[in-house]
Amino acid sequence: MAVDGEVEAGSREGLPARRERQLLREAQRGSRPALAEIYGAHWPRAHRAAYLVVHDAAAAEDIAQDAFLAAVAALDRFDRRRPFAPWLHRIVVNRAIDWSRRESLRRDLVESEPQAPARDPEIGEDVMKALAQLPAEQRAVVVLRHLLEYTPHEIARMLELPRGTVNSRLRRALDRLGEVLEGSPSA
Amino acid sequence: MNEERLRELLREAPLPAAAAAERRSLAVVAGAFAQRQPRKRPALPRLATALAAATLLAALLLSPAGAAVRHWVGDTFTASTPRPEPALAKIPGGGRLLVQSSFGPWVVQPDGSRRLLGDYEEATWSPHGLFVAAVKGRTLSALEPDGTPRWSITAGARIGVPRWSLSGERIAYRAGFDLHVIAGDGTEDRLLAGSTAARTRPDARISPAYVAPDWSPTGANALAYVNGAGRLRIVGSESGSLLAAAPAMHRITWMDWGAGGRRILEASPEALRVRPVWSAGHPSRLALRKAQPLPLSAGATVVDAALAPNRPLVAASITYWKRSGTRSTVVVFGPGKGSRVLLTVPGSLGQVEWSPDGRRLLAAWPGANQWLFLPLGRGKGRAVANILRAFSPGGRPASFPRLAGWCCAATVARRGARGAAPQG
Repeated sequence: MAVDGEVEAGSREGLPARRERQLLREAQRGSRPALAEIYGAHWPRAHRAAYLVVHDAAAAEDIAQDAFLAAVAALDRFDRRRPFAPWLHRIVVNRAIDWSRRESLRRDLVESEPQAPARDPEIGEDVMKALAQLPAEQRAVVVLRHLLEYTPHEIARMLELPRGTVNSRLRRALDRLGEVLEGSPSA
Repeated sequence: MNEERLRELLREAPLPAAAAAERRSLAVVAGAFAQRQPRKRPALPRLATALAAATLLAALLLSPAGAAVRHWVGDTFTASTPRPEPALAKIPGGGRLLVQSSFGPWVVQPDGSRRLLGDYEEATWSPHGLFVAAVKGRTLSALEPDGTPRWSITAGARIGVPRWSLSGERIAYRAGFDLHVIAGDGTEDRLLAGSTAARTRPDARISPAYVAPDWSPTGANALAYVNGAGRLRIVGSESGSLLAAAPAMHRITWMDWGAGGRRILEASPEALRVRPVWSAGHPSRLALRKAQPLPLSAGATVVDAALAPNRPLVAASITYWKRSGTRSTVVVFGPGKGSRVLLTVPGSLGQVEWSPDGRRLLAAWPGANQWLFLPLGRGKGRAVANILRAFSPGGRPASFPRLAGWCCAATVARRGARGAAPQG
């Protein structure tokens, strides 16, 4: 099954709207290639969003996979007139926030130091370190705004927060990221 | 900082083993897609869909990704490979479940019907399932299983870990770090042990006093808890006197007093051990014997573990985090050193809960959005899908629900009537 459908960087959705509707209709009828194309278009960004919030490779995989399983379970009821990506991203980011909160509690309970995320030690180190210093809720709004490119209004709806809270979290997060990344080679 | 630069950094940050993760997840998602039950359609399209599904399954099983699906299906149950049922229509083995969701606790009846009790943060069954003790903030309430409140009290600090004694007469709960007991009718609230987190080691990031207390499963008024100094203590809930004590496991995270009162399970993510409890013919004469570790494979992380209600069996949900992919098992340890793997699945398993008769296990599988009912003896396991949706009103995003109890293992007759007051 082909899964190499890379998503154009920066695009909100992995597929043109008309094509996505067509694929969803075919998948609802049981088409395996249609499912594969939807998966290939949306997996990379869902997985990346989860990873940037939780900073744990295994958890990010589980969270993104969980979201796709929810999508498969709800496929028959899905309204094809609505875009697929916001629905998927809403599940991913909310579950990533939940996981981060639970993990924080679990780490407290087991008295152990946080495990360093398994990642490339050189490339992207700065931004990962800087993100790791933010609370999960702030990481989530940064990812939704600057990776997935939702508006603050859309983010507020996805996270069920007042828009002012989203704006203030974004502002605080960007200020903190700026402080940490300032002067680093990649900033 | 420059927002465009931030976008670039977020897009470029490397994802460890991203391609392998994508392949693994595709195998699981494709497996779920192959097993889903499409919406009903007229006969001819339905036949076509069935043929397409068969073709899809065949293609999946022959493709490289399908090999993983086949392996997964073959490993899912040791005894059998059931298809997941789309909804919980019946609780295998009977009984009722208490399930804590992001929206509050639900009671699930034997026929699968369910009711949300309210926006409580934590809940526990009374021993006979006649009531539920539920917590919200600083308030402890006793509810009927339909959610009707019978009484409430408010404490001076946040309440947690309510536990109803098997006699039905007492509820233990923690207010801050003070351990309290209260009668089943909401009266006689009193402090059993104050400041249980005292003497927590300065280098401990959290006190072992966070471990939830547990009542004796014999119906005796004896409560086990762990204090800040890392001592496992059993006290009489009426007298407050110390009945037995021993050092608790290092980094203990939870415990379970079961096996007819003869064993206490101590658990942490790294280890499991069972401590025999001896009774010299009287509930007030208890002794804690030397704890026996249970053998775990290298790299095992214990996610959950529980003692069977009336048998010396320990069930554990264990995850192995590997670069080649996460795998989880449900293992049952016998009274000796033997153990039996009941189940192996890809991804992470969650909680494991014994049925009231100790003949089945319910394992949560959040990654597949399923509950797995596993018989200990012969018989087919059952998988139930769409668990998240079942406990998410309106399909709102939520965490995978947590099992708060499978009712009811109580075997002790209720003692001492208190009129119409809730006693279990």
